Amino acid sequence: MSTFAVKGLPWTVLRLHRTALLVWGAGLLAATITLIRMYAIGDDARAFAGPCGSPGTSLASCLEITELTVDDTYRDTLSQVATVLSYLMFPVAAWAGGALIGREMENGTAQLNWTQSVSPARWLTAKLALPALLLATGTTTAVLLNVWAHQDGDPNLVGDWYYPDVFVSTGPVAVAYVLAGLSLGALAGLLTRRALAGAGVGFAVTLALYNLLERYREDLWPAQTVIGRAALNQPRSALQIDRGAITAEGQEENGVFACVDSDSLADLEKCKAATGLTDFWATQHPRSHFWPLQFVESGIVLALSAVAVLTAFLVLRRRTP
Amino acid sequence: MTDTAIQAAGLGRRYGRRKRDVLADCSFRLPKGRICALVGPNGAGKSTLLAIAAGLLKPTAGTVEVLGGPPTAARSRIAYVAQHKPLHPQLTVAATLRLGAELNPGRWEQSAAERIAYGTGGLEPKAKIRSLSGGQRTRVALALAFGKRPELLLLDEPMADLDPLARHELTGALMAEAVEHGTTIVMSSHVVAELEGSCDYLLLLQGGRMRLAGDTEELLAAHALLTGTGTDFAPHTVIERRASGRGHTALVRVADTTEESAAGTTGPARHREQPTLEELVLGHLRSHQAPAGDIDHTDHNDHTHQQETAA
Repeated sequence: MSTFAVKGLPWTVLRLHRTALLVWGAGLLAATITLIRMYAIGDDARAFAGPCGSPGTSLASCLEITELTVDDTYRDTLSQVATVLSYLMFPVAAWAGGALIGREMENGTAQLNWTQSVSPARWLTAKLALPALLLATGTTTAVLLNVWAHQDGDPNLVGDWYYPDVFVSTGPVAVAYVLAGLSLGALAGLLTRRALAGAGVGFAVTLALYNLLERYREDLWPAQTVIGRAALNQPRSALQIDRGAITAEGQEENGVFACVDSDSLADLEKCKAATGLTDFWATQHPRSHFWPLQFVESGIVLALSAVAVLTAFLVLRRRTP
Repeated sequence: MTDTAIQAAGLGRRYGRRKRDVLADCSFRLPKGRICALVGPNGAGKSTLLAIAAGLLKPTAGTVEVLGGPPTAARSRIAYVAQHKPLHPQLTVAATLRLGAELNPGRWEQSAAERIAYGTGGLEPKAKIRSLSGGQRTRVALALAFGKRPELLLLDEPMADLDPLARHELTGALMAEAVEHGTTIVMSSHVVAELEGSCDYLLLLQGGRMRLAGDTEELLAAHALLTGTGTDFAPHTVIERRASGRGHTALVRVADTTEESAAGTTGPARHREQPTLEELVLGHLRSHQAPAGDIDHTDHNDHTHQQETAA
């Protein structure tokens, strides 16, 4: 195993958390195999998810398609992978608060380390750095494989980029989440000094963080405003945020859905006349906002992790000589 | 300073909102190479004092120097066995010793650790810590401490869950360690008899305060058990006095030797005995919590206390 080249304090961290290490390794292996398989069936899934016709036409046979479920397998499996990747920080936080730090504070084995020539600060450094390294590399690998398995990112198969699970599981945010889970969990374990309480608090804090970020994600980068027909006919690839119209009196009204079914310019003019609205606007995040949104969110989450780590070291220093 | 293992000055510790000091104004000096008994009733502050010396706990008052510097600087040269013997339950005995070896590079002596863990009536290397009894856990904790080849060994109630045989073996191992390597050993206990034969230095804690500190021989020589018909034991300082069959027995701190012999010839007839360490400790403990009755609450003001601790 990976432990034989490692010496000293890192060896003890790996040896003490061998179960967690094996679980993480097994999970990563399963994810790798699954995603390679998804990549392999990707072409079939695309073929069968497309249009179909009667046997003999150039299109795939509809009869065959209803019997084969390769596109369902592809869609469902990738959706599950996305969910697992974006929820990863909850079990990581519970583990960090419980087994990694809380249990050692509770049963006194942390103090045992501190009297075995390891200062508290060195102990915490090893306890955080090693898991952080393994979690970050593992999650990065899984995210890259996931993006690779998504191929062209057909929203009918892999979901739109702005779906919470898809968004988190296809960018650096996933890695930042896992690191936040580690640092917030560790801080919870250090503050509660109890395994169960540490795991519980770690889980609760990350759950709150996840929901907060999901709720305010669209505000993390200035949205694009479009007017006129573009506002009435937003593409699927854009995350729609708000829409409205301007009345004849020049007032803005939010949440107006009038005239969205106007197919042509003539239809629109007719609708405008009937409703007394002069123009339409909408705010949205186009696909190009994916990276700015990823970077801002990752930055926030990593900054929070850094604060948690710093607080953990300060707490430890205040408590020990 | 190099011949001092622990030197404390005005050491105190208070926990959170609790009002009482767990440790207050402790001053003493423990020379190197001693086997020291840290004695006191439950809750006297023994564990707190040991944890401070081991660099695990910050004192809230005073200073302590261990092996010539702050306890944290001596981390690699101190071994500490906590009262409840914390160990990783998921590891085997062998893996626990490997942990000690990995954490103490350059110091670890595997044979010393194995002698304690696997010696007579010892443990299976492959036994999981969580399957061990209290006494067996103590063995592993001690093996970790010995394997480190410490200059100062701090043991918090090491005998508590050992059977008489294991207790005897441990005492032997401690003595051998001290003789062979000049290791300073501090052992705490609330049972004085447990340590009586093995220690040559005594620290007596009560209510967070240091009541006695010194070489046991010197402490014993400075005290006497006197039995006489009257209640007057002048010129000696009475620590504790109680009625006995023939008259009164008192534990006294003997006055200057020449005076004492003079008093012995001219004073009332007295029977003099050397107190045991246990009698000495009990006498001092009782005199500080003396209830109403035949036990005198004697003159233990700060002045005499200081003299004792300086001894």
